[in-house]
Amino acid sequence: MNRLRSWVDGVDIRRFRFWVQLASFFILVYGGYFYINLGNSLPTFSCGFNGDGKGGICYLLPLQHQMHISWDALLGWRGIALGTGFLTFLAWLFVLNKAWCGYVCPFGTIQDWMTKLRQLFGIRYSNYSLETFNKLKNVKYLLLILLLVIPFAMANPVPGTGHLPDDLATPFCKICPARMVMPAFTGDFSQWTVDFSTGTAMVMTSLGMLVLGIFLVGAFFNKRFFCFFCPMSALHALFANIAFLKLKKTGEKCTRCGDCYRVCDMQIKAIADDVESKVIVKDDCMLCLKCVAACPEEGALKATFLGIPIYESTEAGFFKRMDKKRKEAE
Amino acid sequence: MIFGGIDIGSTAIKVALVDEEDRLLGARVAATGSHFHQNAVEALNGLLAEQGIDRAQLGFLTATGYGRKLFREADDVISEITANAIGAHKVGLAFGGVETIINIGGQDSKAIRIDAEGNVVNFVMNDKCAAGTGRFLDVAARNLEIDLEELGEYHFRLSGTPPPINSTCAVFAESEVIGLLAAGYSKEAICAGIHFSIARRIARLAKRVGIDRRVYFDGGPALNRGLAAAMEQELDAELVIPEIPQITTAYGAAILARETWSEENG
Amino acid sequence: MSTEVSDIRARNRQTQQAMEAAAVLARIQTEFPDNPAGMRYFYDLFQKTYCEQSAPHGKPVIGTTCVQIPEELIYALDAVPVRLCNGTYAFDQAGAEFMPTKSCSLVKATLGFLNQELPAHLQGMRQVINATTCDQKTKAGQIIEQMGYEVHHLEVPRSKDSEQARDYWRHSVAQTARFLEQATHRKLTRRGLRTAIGKVARAQQAFRRLHALRREKPSVVYGKDVFLITNGYFFDDIDRWTEALEALNQELEERIQKGINAAPKRAPRILFTGSPPVFPNLKLPLVIEQAGGVIVADETCSSNRMLYDAVGVDEWFLYDMVDAVADRHLKPCTCPIFSSNIDRQRRLLELARSFEVDGVVYQAFAGCQVYEIEQQSVTAALTEAGVPSLYVETDYSPDDLGQLTTRVEAFLESLRSRRRRKRQ
Repeated sequence: MNRLRSWVDGVDIRRFRFWVQLASFFILVYGGYFYINLGNSLPTFSCGFNGDGKGGICYLLPLQHQMHISWDALLGWRGIALGTGFLTFLAWLFVLNKAWCGYVCPFGTIQDWMTKLRQLFGIRYSNYSLETFNKLKNVKYLLLILLLVIPFAMANPVPGTGHLPDDLATPFCKICPARMVMPAFTGDFSQWTVDFSTGTAMVMTSLGMLVLGIFLVGAFFNKRFFCFFCPMSALHALFANIAFLKLKKTGEKCTRCGDCYRVCDMQIKAIADDVESKVIVKDDCMLCLKCVAACPEEGALKATFLGIPIYESTEAGFFKRMDKKRKEAE
Repeated sequence: MIFGGIDIGSTAIKVALVDEEDRLLGARVAATGSHFHQNAVEALNGLLAEQGIDRAQLGFLTATGYGRKLFREADDVISEITANAIGAHKVGLAFGGVETIINIGGQDSKAIRIDAEGNVVNFVMNDKCAAGTGRFLDVAARNLEIDLEELGEYHFRLSGTPPPINSTCAVFAESEVIGLLAAGYSKEAICAGIHFSIARRIARLAKRVGIDRRVYFDGGPALNRGLAAAMEQELDAELVIPEIPQITTAYGAAILARETWSEENG
Repeated sequence: MSTEVSDIRARNRQTQQAMEAAAVLARIQTEFPDNPAGMRYFYDLFQKTYCEQSAPHGKPVIGTTCVQIPEELIYALDAVPVRLCNGTYAFDQAGAEFMPTKSCSLVKATLGFLNQELPAHLQGMRQVINATTCDQKTKAGQIIEQMGYEVHHLEVPRSKDSEQARDYWRHSVAQTARFLEQATHRKLTRRGLRTAIGKVARAQQAFRRLHALRREKPSVVYGKDVFLITNGYFFDDIDRWTEALEALNQELEERIQKGINAAPKRAPRILFTGSPPVFPNLKLPLVIEQAGGVIVADETCSSNRMLYDAVGVDEWFLYDMVDAVADRHLKPCTCPIFSSNIDRQRRLLELARSFEVDGVVYQAFAGCQVYEIEQQSVTAALTEAGVPSLYVETDYSPDDLGQLTTRVEAFLESLRSRRRRKRQ
């Protein structure tokens, strides 16, 4: 048992992750062609605009549709549908927690591939300064609130004020870069347009194209650029500390060397500096477990499923991985 | 079975004998001189003879003090800090227990903090200079041209406030004392001044380990009642002084000898 | 003073150093039974370097004065870093010419050492990287410059928690890389730095193995030997040093199998912290171990802190490797020069717990303000955790050996009686 554990703890998590991401990408982007349908409550960006290929739908799309509900209908069967959709979402989320982001999300995978491309050219990555980071970190919560409130406001107009335009129905999807990028992987570039049919549609889709442009540049230079602003991540964050898969830290063993902070794509400083918390899944975390792999202190960080440790930082694992990667770089 | 403790200091050798109940049977103080080994053996044998005890009845002998490691006759050695703590704790029990021990020796002074069982919790030593040690008193007595034993009496004959002796160094204090004599201060006043100077230094040392209700005061200078009075004032605590303050450490070593023998022999 | 007289003085001091070194080596080897065969390499290393004349490295030598100086960069440029911190009393006295008498012995000794003809293995060393850590080190930089060396002042932030400190430090390190390129007439390459990181990583792994072996109860190796080994890292060829340590580790593991201990079972286990013991000033560690204790762990920059923390690289390109090296030398550092010492307290408590120590000995060199000041908070934290500690203020002179011995013996005795009480 101990030998199995030390073998697992010595594994190069990045390799494992590459294959899981590839498989998930395939299932969620092309699975539809193979009649795979994982439902509409997926806690990951499996874009609903991706025609027949999609293997399931990103929960944010149906959520925005369902939020277009009037007060009184909340108590009816539409309200129940909202509730069951949410509970299904939670059930999916509880199993993998934010590892949906790090291991499954095809949009995340695309960003990781862009990062690999950058590395191929030996170009330096770009990071936020701590000040900028702190200023921008709440954008995702703002987006989440807006995508919940706007459809709801549309269905419950305040008498005396005008109606919100219909084209704001799924406000987030209008500006989400995944809407343009994901269908492109099945050859569908129809989303790469500005819709001039109404004023609102024009503004929203132009905004979407702008965001796409920013995304393409940003994701090349910054690791997991979009994930910092992702409202799905914000939604996860509310339940991140109670799901089955957790990231735990034993503060006494931490030397605050910061190796985990260095490798973190999401620039989470607390992973290095917080030595009090036992569960350390922060709102930006995507549970990629790069931090666990980069920690040289025995048992300081570990991923647990229902309390059982499945991947733990070990001194031997750390040196083995460093040696291996150093040799690979030669 | 009898147990012995021998404290080989730089100026004096102290020997103590206890029985199996840790009762002090006898004690002796002798000068270390230049042949300490010979003098130590003589002191030990002399005490045994005086008490009518055969050498064979001595079950265990523990040595402590400066010269402990060179005294091959001993069965074990212990540092004087631990020995002093054990002895003071035992004697202090009769007074309701002591928490802090102050030992002023010929060349150094120590403050030891012990717990309720007599274990050393903390200690500080002033071993860098002679101020605050017995040497300071020697120098003072010499300059005042009185005997060391008379210092206590002179202290109590003073009426009024003593002059402050400010020197932090025993050597400079010498010139200060001569100056005060020339200025017309009485020997009584200067005596008291010296005692308070030492007491203040010692109080500073003791505060580093903490003072509670009762402080045990031992070492040769504890015989000086004037110094003791000054110390009680400066420490603001009850002072416990044994009858023969020089032998507390040897007594502690003897108790430890008994403990070690008991452990080894079940 | 004529050069003849100063030459004689210099030779005298070197002889004195050789004598001091020989005396300590003799004590280390003869006053403890059955030293491991693998220690032979290290005893000989010091014998050759301090008492005889050892061969020059053959590569350019860059002098360093602190563990925070990133030695990986120096190795990457095919040069050899040599830590100049000196432990000789004779040089301490010589250094009093430059520094006030009340200042730190270590800095004085280093200055005394640098102000004379360098030994063979440092021949030709002109460049010194001096870190601006504590006051005395910082000021020493200029003094070394005035002696004729080319000094690079590596700027160290006095606080390591903020992001701006990290940035400042990264710039300092990048600047140091530029300085080193000029000094060695080479360019820093990806391959060079990668190989250097690998070399140091291998040395660190060997040290961590030794560190783990020290946890054994009863102890299998004495602290005096470990300090000797880590002091060797200051100046020895890194590959040879690593091999010798790996061989020793192997032997120690065999000893554990065979049940051969270094110290008796009841020997009090000590954690040593504070001003670093630099050979030949192993005065306090030797007093502790000769009095019957065994040093099982330490938190000093001549041992544990120099070799423990590892470099974690994300992308093996020059920009990331240099930053990773920089981070490793700052973030986990528990030197008392920083504004907060919480990390040092935590490290000590974790070491005390995982090595099951009986007590802590805290050494501060007289004049070393930072260690003296931290004594209060560190002792309080240890006391709260129920770990007894002994604070010793000392310097390089042999005058206080008697008193130190008494104090250490009293401390060890109190640890023994504490253990006895716990057993009852």
